[in-house]
Amino acid sequence: MIRAHALTKRFPGPDGDRVAVDGIDFVVEPGRVTGFLGPNGAGKSTTMRMILGLDAPTSGSVTVNGHRYAASPAPLREIGALLDAHAIHPGRSARDHLRWLAASNGIPTTRVGEVLEQVGLESVAGQRAGRFSLGMGQRLGIAASLLGDPPVIVLDEPVNGLDPEGIRWVRKLARELADEGRTVFISSHLMSEMALMADHLLVIGRGSILADCSMQQFMADHAASYVRIKAPALADAQTVLSGRGLDVSQVDAELRVGGLDAAGVGELLGASGVVLHELTLVRASLEDAFMTLTADSVEYHAHSGAPVLEGASR
Amino acid sequence: MSTTTLSAVTGQPPARDLTDGPTPGFGRALQAEWVKLRTVRSTGWTLLATFVLGAGLTILMCGLNADWLASPKADESPGSFITWGMMIAQICAVVLGALVVTSEYSTGMIRSTFAAVPTRGRVVAAKALLVSSVLFVVGTVTALVGYAGGNWFLDRAGIGMPLEGDVLRAMFGSGAFLAGIGLFTVAVGFILRHTAGTISAVLALMLILGNMVNLVPGTLGDWLVKLMPGNAGSAISTPVSFNPDVLGPWTGFGVFGLETAALLVLAWVLVRRRDA
Repeated sequence: MIRAHALTKRFPGPDGDRVAVDGIDFVVEPGRVTGFLGPNGAGKSTTMRMILGLDAPTSGSVTVNGHRYAASPAPLREIGALLDAHAIHPGRSARDHLRWLAASNGIPTTRVGEVLEQVGLESVAGQRAGRFSLGMGQRLGIAASLLGDPPVIVLDEPVNGLDPEGIRWVRKLARELADEGRTVFISSHLMSEMALMADHLLVIGRGSILADCSMQQFMADHAASYVRIKAPALADAQTVLSGRGLDVSQVDAELRVGGLDAAGVGELLGASGVVLHELTLVRASLEDAFMTLTADSVEYHAHSGAPVLEGASR
Repeated sequence: MSTTTLSAVTGQPPARDLTDGPTPGFGRALQAEWVKLRTVRSTGWTLLATFVLGAGLTILMCGLNADWLASPKADESPGSFITWGMMIAQICAVVLGALVVTSEYSTGMIRSTFAAVPTRGRVVAAKALLVSSVLFVVGTVTALVGYAGGNWFLDRAGIGMPLEGDVLRAMFGSGAFLAGIGLFTVAVGFILRHTAGTISAVLALMLILGNMVNLVPGTLGDWLVKLMPGNAGSAISTPVSFNPDVLGPWTGFGVFGLETAALLVLAWVLVRRRDA
């Protein structure tokens, strides 16, 4: 369980303070995967660093299992974190990196071999981490987060740099960890990735929480759906549907009907003898919903006006 | 690709309370830092360079200067030559002290470190203790080997020195001086958080500024020379100092120790206050 209360972080800058995290409140519950979603510069990493006691909040607080991170008697056995794949000395082997981490928190060294096997790095465990690909570095970071077998796991952009197989693996791992009753908190700037991984969604933009709801709720609220109709006599169809008080609009050679599912629309029009060429339920993608929600809060825009959501998270 | 579940691996349920297993304290932080120190190549190379330069240059300088030192023309004491290489070896101690700290900042690993050991003062203390212990041992051994080799040449010229009194003090003093330099640099490393910056700053302070303050006129200049960390600290590492104006070995080392302690306190305060 992670709980933030009025959590605020301001960074001093040349033109006054920049507010990275603006008084946010949230709770990350155990037993489910909570996705922490937001465009670059939204405050995700800053929030995660504050959870881990690396950055001090300007005001407000964040606790893990009811206390500050630094107050944990053995933090790695309580919360495991992947911060970014580069928080590793390039000259040290993967196994040695895990060994010092284990030593620091009194974790049995047998865990080192176990997590190396779990993330699939046992064959390269003796190699210097500097030779690792970004994906291997991510796997090592995930291994480090699992080392203390912690009940709370925080992963900052874990799928960055992973190949499709690796992405599927992270997804499966997150699911397993949540099913075991752990608190799983995963950040991403990719809605499509979160849609496949998260049970619960925390959307952040410009340091504020824009949405805090279940994935299903988010889809229902933000991914608007309509029924698309193509018919030789569009005007007739429009008359019938409008007469039933439905929200109908014509876009090019199709009608868009809101407020009723495809079956209902089909039955209404069939009863009125309107011939249909197409009847489709169209659901706006979650990516679109996310873009819409965060459009005002995206830090950097491309010149086309489209939000820039790709690239590094920092 | 293995994707065994955690519970299958560990056979224990998560979300348990943390009373199982001992609470890690300073000893754990020290162990972690010890693993770190042993598992990067730079440690071995730096210590090897300390030994080769420290012992080798002492032997070389004693060998080359033995006859001159034995002659009536000599205006230096053989006691100044018997730990000659340590003047160069101190550069290696600076490099080791810097890398132990600043490599973590340059790679971002400091965040892993402070996440694992959130009581940051323990990290500073553990690094300081390890660097100074290792350098004390390596420095003393280096000085003793340099003495053994160098004194062989001095003996042949009839000016050999027994391993006692000031000579013996200079052996352990060399270890202590390197240890002090390591501590000094660890502190500067935590303050500056940058490898090149830390090494340049310490070397400039120890080697260059230490000599340049000679140019300050009057009593002020005399005192600055005495109090500069490199000048104050190095007297303990040699039986007879090249520079007759520096403080006595123990007084000087005390001054150097205070300066180092002040920097360590500053480092400790900054490390606790700053975001990682």
